[in-house]
Amino acid sequence: MKQFALWLSTTSPSVYIQEHNTWTIPVIQSIHIVGIALVMGSVLMIDLRILGWAWVDQTLRQTTNRFGPWLTAALWLLLVTGILMVIGEPVRELVTFSFWMKMALVAIGAAVAIAFQRTLRRHEQHWENSLVHNRSIKALAILTFLLWVCIIFLGRLIAYDHVWGSWSPSERQ
Amino acid sequence: MDIASLLDWLQNTSLAVHIRDSLFAFPLIESTHVIGLTLVFGTIAIIDLRLLGLASTNRSFQRLAADTLKWTWVAFALTAVTGALMFITNAAVYYNNAYFRAKIALLALAALNMLVFEVTTRRSVAQWDRNASAPPLGRAVAAVSLVLWISVIVTGRMIGFTTTRASLAEPTPVEQNLEDLLGFPGDTAPSPPTEESK
Repeated sequence: MKQFALWLSTTSPSVYIQEHNTWTIPVIQSIHIVGIALVMGSVLMIDLRILGWAWVDQTLRQTTNRFGPWLTAALWLLLVTGILMVIGEPVRELVTFSFWMKMALVAIGAAVAIAFQRTLRRHEQHWENSLVHNRSIKALAILTFLLWVCIIFLGRLIAYDHVWGSWSPSERQ
Repeated sequence: MDIASLLDWLQNTSLAVHIRDSLFAFPLIESTHVIGLTLVFGTIAIIDLRLLGLASTNRSFQRLAADTLKWTWVAFALTAVTGALMFITNAAVYYNNAYFRAKIALLALAALNMLVFEVTTRRSVAQWDRNASAPPLGRAVAAVSLVLWISVIVTGRMIGFTTTRASLAEPTPVEQNLEDLLGFPGDTAPSPPTEESK
């Protein structure tokens, strides 16, 4: 992976980002943070609806119609800006424990988001009448929110991978 | 007490020393700051997009605000506390940082913008509560709010690139020597920001 990262850092898009890093990196990171904010706002509202703490005058379907497309669009924005950050600083991103742990959790988070929107479409009545009141589903809503919280932690910890001690490949050099 | 000695006192409090000396404290506080600020912006965007008539247009503004704003304030409190904790670890440097000052000014403008909304458009909410978008002044406030909060995020991120933390975490040797590894001549290689590892 270190070799791949070093190779990637010699490619021309990477060199461009590095040579203009006084503005490219902060701008890409800021757009990434705006994307995270849209995800967090959307996940919070859908989860609050499932918990019955907000949007109770709207059906689960109406709430998801409002936030689902924004959530999906924000995830794509995060993918694009995330790839740009990896291209711009391959070693800093790829040679860390935090990055790969984050990717594993992002895969779970995205799968949950897709599965939820799909099952809600297929079993709408069941969701509105019973599942939304189910305690396990409510617990799952809280867990989903905490999953995104963990993803944010891991994302920020890419810059501080030393906190993982010997788990961090950059500490093992 | 003048400001310099106040800053000096702040960064020598046992709390500040404790955070500086810990391997984990600053990264965890900064991560919590990010969680708070994404929730602040995420929930404010829901309100602003509603005012602009771009989302949640079928819903009463008052209901939407009641569902959303309390979470904004909880998240803002989290962000303010963690922000203050980061500030005291290196108070003099942050205080003199141009991006930090710009960010505080932008936050003040965002507060002023919100105040304008509360004393004008919000007073007449009964007349437009169910409309797809707010009256012109409300829409202007919403657009200004989005611009201000995005600017707060950008200036906040810039603080990390233009300040040096008081202790810990020199960039790893890998990054320091990357130009050499790649065979770039040292003097023409782009000079990294002070704190590239952030």
